Amino acid sequence: MNIQTLTSTSTELKTGAEQAARELGELLLHTPEYELFLKTLDAVNNNLEVQKISAEIRSHQNAMRWSPGDTGEHDAALTRLEIELEVIQAVQEYRLAEEAACRLFAEVDSIISQAAGVPFATNAKRSGCGCGG
Amino acid sequence: MITEELQNCARDLGEALRSSASVQSYLKAQAGCEADPEASDLEKRLQVLYQELVGRQQRGVELQRSEIDAYNVLKSQVHHNPLIQERDAALSLVKQTFTDIADDLNFPLGVEFTTLALASNT
Repeated sequence: MNIQTLTSTSTELKTGAEQAARELGELLLHTPEYELFLKTLDAVNNNLEVQKISAEIRSHQNAMRWSPGDTGEHDAALTRLEIELEVIQAVQEYRLAEEAACRLFAEVDSIISQAAGVPFATNAKRSGCGCGG
Repeated sequence: MITEELQNCARDLGEALRSSASVQSYLKAQAGCEADPEASDLEKRLQVLYQELVGRQQRGVELQRSEIDAYNVLKSQVHHNPLIQERDAALSLVKQTFTDIADDLNFPLGVEFTTLALASNT
């Protein structure tokens, strides 16, 4: 097999995987689990109570960043605000939808990995350092 | 509930990845490591020693300098084994291929597939 044949075979395989990945992405996009995940995420982002609590959380975090020292008061406020956030109905609905979407994606990942012979998501995850490692 | 169409599509992607040069090289290198008594023994010993040291550290036992040195020697032997090096280099190429393909998967979704798929593991 010459270099040209090798290159074209490799390109065909990559195109096949690229095509399959796009198709899978499109299918996942239209699953009830993912649609509900996006809908509840949108509801959380547009919820005034969530926006108010999130702004308060940011304000305490900024205060802790710029005035380190005794952070007890801010820590207590953050804990209280996080609890307040989690009891909002829109947030609870989002958490349930997120859990269902994660379960679906994990199941899909398991099928890809089994067919590939190598774990997919674990090896497809970008490292956070930007070093490409 | 995962539909048959979704299952087939996920399987098609997995099979396309399995046919890729990078996965084929990795699987071959991995099989080479597993079949080699020295390489597989080194890896097993490193894993056992690592678990043992971490376990003791978690129980509050202070590790001796000699134990850490012994671990580092074994780790270096693992990293310098030619078959393990070959397999790790092949895995790096697999990661590159998978990361590129994940970008195609993420494109229609607007989120990172891997983040949601691995969320329950974290």
